[in-house]
Amino acid sequence: MATIVVNGVRREVPSPGDTPLLYVLRNDLELSGPQFGCGMAQCGSCSVLLDGKEIRSCITPLSAASGKEVTTLEGLGARWAQQKGLPKAEAERTLHPVQQAWIEEQTPLCGFCQNGMMIKATELLERVATPTVAQIKEAFTTSGPSAHLCRCGSYTAIIEAVQHAATIMAKAR
Amino acid sequence: MSMPNEKHVDVFGATLTRRGFVKAGGALCVGFGLAGRLPAATPKNTLDPTLPGSWIEIHPDNTILIRTGKSDFGQSTTFTAYRQIVAEELSVPFEAITTVVMGDTDRTPDGSGAFDFLGRGTPNIRKAAAYTYQALLDQASERLRVPRNELSTKDGVFSGRGKRISYGDLVKGRQLKLTIPVTGDLTNLMGLTVTGNPPMKPVSQYTVIGQSYKNSVTASKVAAREQWATDVRLPGLMHARMVHPKTLGSTLVSAGALDKTRFPNSQVIVKGNLVGVVAPTEWEAIRAAQQVAAATKWSEWKGLPGDANLFTHLRESSDWKATPVMKSDKTRGEVAPALANASKKLTATYQMPFMKHAPIGPTMAVADVQAGGEVHIYTHNQNPQALRGEIAQMLGITTDRIVVRSFAGPGHYGRSNGGNAGAEDEAVILSKAVGSPVRVQWMREEDFQWSTQSPAAFSDVEIALDANGKIAAYQVDHYMPAMQDDRPVGAILAGLPTMPAPNEKAEFIGSTANSLQDPWIYDGVPVLLERGHGTYQVGEKASPLGIGLRDHSMRTPGQFQQNFPRELAISEAAALAGADAIQFRIDHATEERAIGVLKAVREASGWQTRPSPANPVSTGDKPARGRGVSVMFRSGTYWACVCEIAVTPSTGAIQVEKYTVAVDPGIIVNPMQLKRQVEGGAVMGISHALLEEAKFDESAITARDWQTYPILKMADIPEIKVVLLNRPEVGSYGGGSEAANALAAPAIAAALFDATGKIARRLPLKADYVQTLLKA
Repeated sequence: MATIVVNGVRREVPSPGDTPLLYVLRNDLELSGPQFGCGMAQCGSCSVLLDGKEIRSCITPLSAASGKEVTTLEGLGARWAQQKGLPKAEAERTLHPVQQAWIEEQTPLCGFCQNGMMIKATELLERVATPTVAQIKEAFTTSGPSAHLCRCGSYTAIIEAVQHAATIMAKAR
Repeated sequence: MSMPNEKHVDVFGATLTRRGFVKAGGALCVGFGLAGRLPAATPKNTLDPTLPGSWIEIHPDNTILIRTGKSDFGQSTTFTAYRQIVAEELSVPFEAITTVVMGDTDRTPDGSGAFDFLGRGTPNIRKAAAYTYQALLDQASERLRVPRNELSTKDGVFSGRGKRISYGDLVKGRQLKLTIPVTGDLTNLMGLTVTGNPPMKPVSQYTVIGQSYKNSVTASKVAAREQWATDVRLPGLMHARMVHPKTLGSTLVSAGALDKTRFPNSQVIVKGNLVGVVAPTEWEAIRAAQQVAAATKWSEWKGLPGDANLFTHLRESSDWKATPVMKSDKTRGEVAPALANASKKLTATYQMPFMKHAPIGPTMAVADVQAGGEVHIYTHNQNPQALRGEIAQMLGITTDRIVVRSFAGPGHYGRSNGGNAGAEDEAVILSKAVGSPVRVQWMREEDFQWSTQSPAAFSDVEIALDANGKIAAYQVDHYMPAMQDDRPVGAILAGLPTMPAPNEKAEFIGSTANSLQDPWIYDGVPVLLERGHGTYQVGEKASPLGIGLRDHSMRTPGQFQQNFPRELAISEAAALAGADAIQFRIDHATEERAIGVLKAVREASGWQTRPSPANPVSTGDKPARGRGVSVMFRSGTYWACVCEIAVTPSTGAIQVEKYTVAVDPGIIVNPMQLKRQVEGGAVMGISHALLEEAKFDESAITARDWQTYPILKMADIPEIKVVLLNRPEVGSYGGGSEAANALAAPAIAAALFDATGKIARRLPLKADYVQTLLKA
């Protein structure tokens, strides 16, 4: 049994240490945010935050997550609530501003890649409060192991949603 | 057979049945009766026989449930437009429709695929709602003792002569079943179609259609509350990975032995040429399959022409004679003399590559073949009823023993609209073999190499200009291998029954015929000949497996392959005539809506009226800029697009800087959702135009990942400007999810010509191709 901390909770998991984190999150912990897109860190569908940094869970072994904080799409609301010091009852109902903006802007088409898009957006906005379009494009194209790919072509809507999320976060300051 | 206390009422050809009164609950359910056929032909519901295959249910609390066989694949239509259409016909608020059930074969009524959602203006759900409204009106008239024509409706309440009754009160305590007439076959590609002509709400009274309602499933997906197909977990579920043949024509020599010391809980299943590895955990299945694959021996096969020889192969070595030549219904005049007497003439050939649908998640499915032979499939499929038929055929059982449940998943862009995406039948075969539920997940490489593709095509165009620079004659011959191979690949490999491969004798679906898909819009052209030539799939007959390069319709299918040649040729003809490319189109079009989108895109893009190419043409490292236009009519909607590009002559790299599109679908149902669809299509279209080609050698598809099959990245998108033209007077709603992906290619190629004076007649417009072209 290995122990990892996911969305603020310590979890014991039966998988061997060389298992890609993606399968641990999906199959052992039954989380549905990260998706299997390529298994080669080429698309970003499986992204999670590891100590606040976006990583590709499809190539990250379980052993590499030990002693670190994993945040998945399921945990973004609580992450925001903690950053803002919201009471626990409210935290459970809270969506991260990135998620709120994704709904307001009606960003997803099929939505399969959007887990990684929202994880990337969260990482970016925790680092840069009001990113320019060029900074957004750089974050989603060249900053990671690969570009975050959307086959449905929602890139315009993603840019608009990141800007919208930045506005929501600025108001909360 | 009537129950003693049943009453039957005719409602514009539908039948309302009232079954006495019930103590609690009550509902109006809208089911179907097959016109001219025994109801016994209706496939049974096997999971829960108490659930009716009902389109619409009205409940005593005034909530409404709708059901549709069409699943959402990112179009949002079932959650937004369908709700709006039903709310409008019933005169209830959008929010009254609280539940949408879609794509489950045991509890949705109409089948067919996730395409053409708006049914060219009258989808099944609209007519079902219209019949329902009439039935409710009858009931209200009877209950209130007010004539129908003195009743008015607002927010789900009838009122007249000072009396009122809500829909909920009309159904309270009663069991009402409205049976509406349909035709068709549930498990056929097109499914069932509602017939008859119930009165529909006048467009002038619309209040719900035209509003930007949000897609309810978006919130669920964004908050990680959605159950995706990838999340389906059943007790005793086993994970599987496939070991597919080495080539598209290799047969199995010997399956590799499993290393039981490393993988004690795995097992290898072999059936014919189908090899799969099943294990209790996903990671063990992956590693065990890799070990078995390395030890498995396949025969060699080299029966494909290779991508470098594709078009020579297609033109010279393919059988275009066995399949009847198709002609468009607009064919007119004698082309030979008109071409011979041309003042100026364009003769050109245009080439389209094989492209992959390339869903962002590879195909997967869970199958549970139970001890009694009942088959449950949990997947993400554009045509679950057709899948049900295919699995029944494969197993030699009746469709009533198969249930397909649909869940959210990645867009397929047409790949599964004929019933399978790849993993479903393999999951069934493996589940049957091991006696427990099995989840088959293809890896990224398999999804590129073992799925179907959008067929390659080429077209020969001849255009004659008269002395005034007008088109005197237009002739085109389109050549394309069969486009709709719905045979499940696992069934082929396992040697189990499937439908035949596409052939010249098949009607409509599964035919090799290349029908004319791109409606002609230049009705001012006096002489026209459009022909479509079809053939078998490349390598299929040479493959001992009968596989080769299997094709499948992809977003804007066939029309993309025919519109690229036409629109680029029209731009070339305009240049030959010394005319502006938009004005030239307007001068040859007669349909007012076609002219309307051209004028709208001209204005919105800031288009300067002048002939192409731009003068002077630049060279070297300095980017040259140009613009091009394209136009299309598809599914009731007129489209026109302008692409503005920068091309660096020294490298051949093209950057699309601005994409402007004008869209006239008639009535706009939901402006925000339509805009998002169009933007997405635009991005995919630029990706098709600049990057996409499924490369192959003599044995197999060589694309295996996102590096060997690149798609457009965020940094490379242009400014996108969408102009929506709402035209209620058209009276119907056209589709918005297709076309946009096909418009970019001819517009970008025309823009390249405008910028450089060089014509690129082959897609994709990759930098090395453009660089070579510009040096020539």
